[in-house]
Amino acid sequence: MSFVAWLKAHYDEKGPIRWLAFLLELIAAVMLMVLMLITCVDVVGRYVFNKPLPGSIELTEIGMAILIFAAMPVVTWRGGHIVVDLLDRYLSTFVVKCLSLLSAIVISGSFYYLGHRIYQLGERSIRRGEVTEFLGISSGYIVQYIAIMSWATALGMITYGVYRIFFQDKSN
Amino acid sequence: GTWMPPSNPMNAVVLPTWGAWVEEATEGRVTVRIEHDLGNPAAYYDLVEDGVINAGWSFHGYLPGRFTLPMAVEQPGMGVNAEAASAALWQVHETHFAKANEYEGLELLALITHGPGQLHTREPINSLRDLRNKRIRIGGGVQSALGERMEVTAVAAPGPRVYEMLQQGVIDGVFMPAQEQRSLRLDEVAPNLTLFPGGLYLGSFAMFIDPEFMEQLEPRDADAIRSVSGLKLSAMAGKEWDQADIDGIAYAREKGVNVIELDENHPMVQEFNQLIQGMDDAWVASVQRAGVDAAAALADLRRLALEYAEQN
Amino acid sequence: MSVILIGFVVLLLLIIVVRMPIAFAMGLVGFFGFAVMMGLSWDNWDTFRWTGPMSMAANRVVSTVQNYSLSVIPLFILMGNLVMRSGLSQELYQASNAFLGHKKGGLAMATVVACGGFSAISGSSLATSATMSKVAMPSMRKYGYSDSLATATIAAGGSLGILIPPSVILVVYGLLTETSIRELFAAGFIPGFIAILFYLGAVQYVVWRNPSAGPAGDRTPWRERLIALRGVLGVLALFVIVMGGIYLGIFTPTEAAGIGAGGAFVIALMRKSLTWSSLFDTLTDTARTSVMLLVVVIGALIFSDFINRAGLPDILLSFVNSLDVQPIVVILVIVGIYLILGMVFESLSMMLLTIPIFYPLVAALGYDLVWFGIVVVIAIEISLITPPVGMNVFVLSAVLRDVKTSTIFKGVGPFWVADILRLLLIIFVVQISLFLPTLLYR
Ligand code: NA
Ligand code: NA
Repeated sequence: MSFVAWLKAHYDEKGPIRWLAFLLELIAAVMLMVLMLITCVDVVGRYVFNKPLPGSIELTEIGMAILIFAAMPVVTWRGGHIVVDLLDRYLSTFVVKCLSLLSAIVISGSFYYLGHRIYQLGERSIRRGEVTEFLGISSGYIVQYIAIMSWATALGMITYGVYRIFFQDKSN
Repeated sequence: GTWMPPSNPMNAVVLPTWGAWVEEATEGRVTVRIEHDLGNPAAYYDLVEDGVINAGWSFHGYLPGRFTLPMAVEQPGMGVNAEAASAALWQVHETHFAKANEYEGLELLALITHGPGQLHTREPINSLRDLRNKRIRIGGGVQSALGERMEVTAVAAPGPRVYEMLQQGVIDGVFMPAQEQRSLRLDEVAPNLTLFPGGLYLGSFAMFIDPEFMEQLEPRDADAIRSVSGLKLSAMAGKEWDQADIDGIAYAREKGVNVIELDENHPMVQEFNQLIQGMDDAWVASVQRAGVDAAAALADLRRLALEYAEQN
Repeated sequence: MSVILIGFVVLLLLIIVVRMPIAFAMGLVGFFGFAVMMGLSWDNWDTFRWTGPMSMAANRVVSTVQNYSLSVIPLFILMGNLVMRSGLSQELYQASNAFLGHKKGGLAMATVVACGGFSAISGSSLATSATMSKVAMPSMRKYGYSDSLATATIAAGGSLGILIPPSVILVVYGLLTETSIRELFAAGFIPGFIAILFYLGAVQYVVWRNPSAGPAGDRTPWRERLIALRGVLGVLALFVIVMGGIYLGIFTPTEAAGIGAGGAFVIALMRKSLTWSSLFDTLTDTARTSVMLLVVVIGALIFSDFINRAGLPDILLSFVNSLDVQPIVVILVIVGIYLILGMVFESLSMMLLTIPIFYPLVAALGYDLVWFGIVVVIAIEISLITPPVGMNVFVLSAVLRDVKTSTIFKGVGPFWVADILRLLLIIFVVQISLFLPTLLYR
């Protein structure tokens, strides 16, 4: 199977968004492997070489942040967050779609405004020279990454996420 | 806002006492209500600055890189108890550190250190060489530098997990003040407590208040709060941490912990003094804040601390 | 108090009627509730100092996704998913089938045992039922098992995933209540074992009432039974590494998740069951699930900031004290609340929503929080198969497109009764859950 065919089979997104989804999920996948390796190298290093991986905890923390917020836009625009759909069978498809639209607006709004505050917190932290304990990485940049990905999530939800609700939702 | 278990000296004595002082000084117009566990300890600086809570406290070490100057007091070689160190740190902050504005966005209420950090281990320690390649939990900051010089295998872990890790043998020992024998029940898992005179290092933290909140108060109330804070509060808090250490050592003895009190002439103390050569210079070199003469500040800090210790 | 009540009503409306994702409903109500506690009202909308609640929420987002202890969520899920890819679950089922399959209802009993075995390496119940439905359903169909018995067995058996260690739910409980995670893991063992026995009883009851629901399968000769046992070795090895490593103190429960995932990866490599494409699928699948769970954690934390600021735990405690009833009555009421909430909520959200409220109360009444953790997890297990929202049942009907949810819920009845009996047993005989933690660690 060619790569493009594989991509088409795996992602039902349209056009360039398919590539974007793949790229984001690739980052998440790589980070997950890295998380696994960090712990293994750290524990093996501790016992076999008396030399644990320096800064393994903060690397894990940073890796978690990258992993979660890389996958966040894709999960969100696919409507993947946990919903109680108890009443769905009593509601008409149209009502369900309208409610989904309402949720989509709230979700993008939350990510947009929170992202704003998170970005400011990151800026403040960089200005004050806050760094991580062992490796001295500027913690504000990770915070700003979270903010930027929050904005990306908000944007993805209000555009492609809404498009999906009306034209691509397979569950209805 | 506060954190840590209720038995911690901050929660048991310092905050309630300060609260009573504030109420008395403002004739009841300002009262202090204590609220627990609002987020992770490092977040308390932000929570106060952004007005979620009006005042709080946190360790300097939780935001590495931001509070470089107060680390002066954490360096080994202070040789005094927490009360003297806290009082001296507050004074040196006023004369030297304040102009660097490391507490931007906050108004400082007190600068406090806990009691001297000591060595708690599973096995007895007769020489610092015994520590080589042992797995020691390191809380960061000055402890990392010490651990490196002692050539231990540093294991990072949050404080509340220490008991479990010692019990399991994931770690062989930990640097902590003596009071943790009691509050973390270290007596059960690290039955060897080696006390260095003046300790291995100190840990420092700050109490702070929201400047916007202070502005909203009537000026006389804000001044009243300031009058019961600062040096007075720092010294009182330091004293309570010392008392907690005394209680912790007594508790450890009662529980049959092997408590070894080293005196100045003990070979291990000599060894330690050798080991920490140059840490002062390293700290001075690491601090490049505008307008602060770090070396002079450190000298002043040590002098003031010794003076305070002699007078009290 | 009225603010809390309004908060809860709005929350339920948002979740059930507006069908807003649970995490965002909790976050929204928590955020505005917190703002109200800080002095927000109708007339100061524009002058209110929004930075307070904004920073509070922003801090929860930033620190939760960088929380070291929560790294077990992706890593334990990854371990289960990798094990599934390497076909170990298939062999687990074949082995238990070799021993039990020839009895009446034997294939269903084998399913229960295999679910228990798979739970020992899977951190989540949904993963356990999804996996076992692919493995056990085809052969039960082949031997003419009724759909309701077959699917109900898998749904119920799958719920063991969160009780038998390792368990993501127990880890989160431990973090919320500052209870020792390895004691919680140890405490889940015997109740998990009892659960298997009770489920076997439920299967036998069903085939006793209606023998055609679960006809006997073929008898496997002893020689082949022993050969089939070999398939269990991989699972056993992984379980021994993870739990043994925690027990011997070689690594912490947090690290165990990474080691377990690494071990599962090595097994998958050795069995040549991974292609680049299937590895990518496993990783992205895990990442998506982790995102869903962490978002719920964040929403619940923001919500619990609000209820704490509003003083609900204290209000609840003084209310209970004023009632002057036996502590055990309070526990039974709490369990009742869980069973009711369980009709609507999904497991993790339910726990995140309730534990911050209940655990100070339970601790103040003098109960052991490790024991309470097990009680809560069993109550949550029950919710996984309780209609109308039983997540395990939904997972099954999503995997097996031709089986209706109502068919599964019909079959679940006897298992549900078995669960309630087990729950009462665990509540009243505290030793069942506390025996191992006391023996090993106290
Ligand atoms: Na499990
Ligand atoms: Na349910």
